[in-house]
Amino acid sequence: MFPMLTLLSMFYYICLRRRSRSGTRSEALGSRRAVELGQRSALPVTVEVEQYGKEVLDFSSHYGSENSMSYTMWNLAGVPNVYPSSGDFTQTAVFRTYGSWWEQCTSSAQRFRRTPPSFHSQDYLELAFEEPVYPTAVEVLETYHPGAVVKILACSLNPFSQNPPVDVRWEVLWAGKPNKALTPQARQFSPSIKQINFATNLLRLEVNSSLLEYYTELDAVILRGVRERPILALYKIPVIDINDLSDSEEEISEAGGLCCRSGGENRHNLGNGYFDRLPYELIQLIVSHLPVPDLCRLAQSCKLFHKHCCDPLQYIQLSLQPYWARLTDASLSHLLSRCTLLQRLNMSWTGNRGAVTAAGFCSFMKACGVSLVCLELSCCHFLNEACLEVIAQTCPCLQELNLASCDRLQPQAFNHIAKLTNLRRLVLYRTKVEQSAILSILTFCPELKHLNLGSCVMIEDYDVVASMLSARCRSLRSLDLWRCRNLSEHGLAELVLGCRLLEELDLGWCSTLQSSSGCFQHLARSLPRLRKLFLTANRTVCDSDLEELAANCSALEHLDILGTRMVSSASLRKLLQCCPQLKLLDVSFCSQVDSRLVQELSGLFPNVSIKKSFTQ
Amino acid sequence: MFSVLSYGRIVARAVLGGLSQTDGRDYSLITASCGFGKDFRKGILKKGMCYGDDACFIARHKSADVLGVADGVGGWRDYGVDPSQFSATLMRTCERLVKEGRFTPSSPVGILTSGYYELLQNKVPLLGSSTACIVVLERRSHRIHTCNLGDSGFLVVRGGEVVHRSDEQQHYFNTPFQLSIAPPGAEGVVLSDSPEVSDSSSFDVQLGDIILTATDGLFDNMPDYMILQELKKLKNTNYDSIQQTARSIAEQAHELAYITDLVRVAPYLRFHRNENEAVRDRSTAHSVGTDSLADETSFRKTFNRQKLHKTVFNVRKLHNLGPLYIACLCNVYPSHPCFQYGIKPDEGLYQRISLGLFRLFGSGKS
Repeated sequence: MFPMLTLLSMFYYICLRRRSRSGTRSEALGSRRAVELGQRSALPVTVEVEQYGKEVLDFSSHYGSENSMSYTMWNLAGVPNVYPSSGDFTQTAVFRTYGSWWEQCTSSAQRFRRTPPSFHSQDYLELAFEEPVYPTAVEVLETYHPGAVVKILACSLNPFSQNPPVDVRWEVLWAGKPNKALTPQARQFSPSIKQINFATNLLRLEVNSSLLEYYTELDAVILRGVRERPILALYKIPVIDINDLSDSEEEISEAGGLCCRSGGENRHNLGNGYFDRLPYELIQLIVSHLPVPDLCRLAQSCKLFHKHCCDPLQYIQLSLQPYWARLTDASLSHLLSRCTLLQRLNMSWTGNRGAVTAAGFCSFMKACGVSLVCLELSCCHFLNEACLEVIAQTCPCLQELNLASCDRLQPQAFNHIAKLTNLRRLVLYRTKVEQSAILSILTFCPELKHLNLGSCVMIEDYDVVASMLSARCRSLRSLDLWRCRNLSEHGLAELVLGCRLLEELDLGWCSTLQSSSGCFQHLARSLPRLRKLFLTANRTVCDSDLEELAANCSALEHLDILGTRMVSSASLRKLLQCCPQLKLLDVSFCSQVDSRLVQELSGLFPNVSIKKSFTQ
Repeated sequence: MFSVLSYGRIVARAVLGGLSQTDGRDYSLITASCGFGKDFRKGILKKGMCYGDDACFIARHKSADVLGVADGVGGWRDYGVDPSQFSATLMRTCERLVKEGRFTPSSPVGILTSGYYELLQNKVPLLGSSTACIVVLERRSHRIHTCNLGDSGFLVVRGGEVVHRSDEQQHYFNTPFQLSIAPPGAEGVVLSDSPEVSDSSSFDVQLGDIILTATDGLFDNMPDYMILQELKKLKNTNYDSIQQTARSIAEQAHELAYITDLVRVAPYLRFHRNENEAVRDRSTAHSVGTDSLADETSFRKTFNRQKLHKTVFNVRKLHNLGPLYIACLCNVYPSHPCFQYGIKPDEGLYQRISLGLFRLFGSGKS
């Protein structure tokens, strides 16, 4: 009798367990009761919570100044300030770039091969909310030139919790293509998002503004969700999502495990079919079109492909940026053996929240960095001084280094960059590099062609930097001094004296330059090769400056003179006539230039994209 | 100038009287604002708390309540610049700073400095200038921190008496200290004071104190005793009665400053010139009280409004006047680009901020 009872109770227990496996026990009981009692009783009420962003934790770039609340990414938190109005307002979050103008410049990085076509993101931001919920909807309030959001992700980590879990998971709620709305008017963007099985209060938005006519501006993000797991999950048969397959990070790490196993399979000599007849190089060529995760999966399929996929020649260029969510120290260590011939490495955006440690990165560098020529490390917050020291030691041939938005990197770390004497391209946008470090870099890296010091607020005196550039870096082609507040006409004069080959110069928001000193005219006369000139928000740009540009800089392609009151239509016409290569002209907020004039000029010069922003 | 008036009365969160002075609770302000712009007849509506060229804001943060007023300098109108744009944008920016917590309660100068810095970060090329007065109530410590640049200001009234007031900051007559953004090339000519030259003060406050912040439109037109009279009528601490009081003060000031036709200054003022030193120019021998307008345009001095009140009332008392219109013309250095005032005697209604007319009611005919 007792065995019977035990059997029965076990049976009963197993049945209950199966029923409640995908839900809590109370929910199971509740729903059973509801079914039993018939239609009259309601299912447990799930309250939908609506939240605005609490804090912007991380982002890749923004238009505004570092201590400001105008056009900066921090405006995305909180309730909307502008919506439903449309226009170019200071209270919104704006990224640094838009359109394809920056990609057309020679200072941009070359595209990496093997970028998967589904990865379009150019910029990102991470927004934390107060309370973790199971998201049911995400609404992005875009107030100007909407259409840039291409991906929304949710994180399983609560950034405000005291004990962060070891396992941090990012789930894609929605992904789409870069878009462009028909009008630049405000809209509420609310794509249908995937149901996920964890509560989240950290969202990540990735954007791509390449199709947009002007800067996109975001006002707020609303996260709607429920506190308890939605009741529907009880009855839903778990669908095997194809995306989940690609989500499993084990594949990259398992490739390493396979190495050990391959030794024991020598006994079986299975024919590889026609693949045995193809020359090695041809299979290499075929395999070279696969993106990196597919490469790793293919390596697990058979010995032949394992040999091909682990061949270092496949890993001369490696872009890990599309896989930022899954890259860990383990992945790096397993890729180590294949990357000995690595020349171009893109690890931008990777490794945050502890996924990659400085030590893991250093060991990867030591093993694979010998032939490295280009290293993209934008927004890599795991970097520290030791990492830069290792880079400086092991990568003597390094020509391109991108540390944009590595704002947690200590100032003394930048001193090591001076050891990379072959540097041609250096991006230090939004870093804490100090004056002494940049001066020593400029002293020892005379081959610099492209330098980006935008929003480097810790450099005290840009005149000194300019004169050092003029003295040491004569082959400079592009210089980005966006928001360098204390550059004066003396510094600029010295700069154009020494760096005659300058083609791109961004002096946006450099408020200390006064046109009355003649500095812009002098610049125009000294730089005949000038192709890009940004004088954004320099309120002193006047007609004579434009006339000098028209007379001397016939190669001009991009010009931004936002916000000046002193430019009239006559000089604009002259400029447009004399610069046949001009493609971008930004005359937003120029009081003498109204929309009628812009329309007229656009009609006369159809190849030029004339931008006139509005605040409504 | 017409006034913007904002008004706060300190009450503890848990209302009801009898609270001791060693109250550990956080204080907060109950506020109301009212004002009139000079364009009231045209019915120009501006967004938010903007009255004519003046603007104000009230913002709350968890650690502090903040009031602010800014008086746009009207001389910019001559140069095609809307003077209200600067003051309104400054106040809105300061409001945003407070709401987002980007300020230190004990340093209202910081709010002004950050607000001014943010104005420069705007893509829109702002021009103009304004005075500013910021009052911060720190909830926990029951202290008020203030910062005043220019001739706007505040009063703190306790028990029917003024216990604190701000000082006017002027360069010369009708030219207060001001924050400004000048057109390029004019930086040397246009007055631009840095937020650092503002007057700061800090003091303790008690429950029931009344804080009144206003632009010079109030203080120029309404003497203290009249303001105090109105404030005495405030019995309750609810929003409605405070709003009512603010409105009545603003209306009275508005009436007192009512502008009508310019009338030749009565000769009896000249009679009083020697006896009442108040209207004598210190540096030159000019004074109010001449017949022709041309002389009056060269009149410049540091103006003391309290003494003018006294003069006016003295005159009335002595001569039992009928309706008397006295024009105080305040014209400053004509070469100063911001402050050139021309007087057009045939204009029925003056738009100039330089004019303040006092209408006296007497028993005789006009």
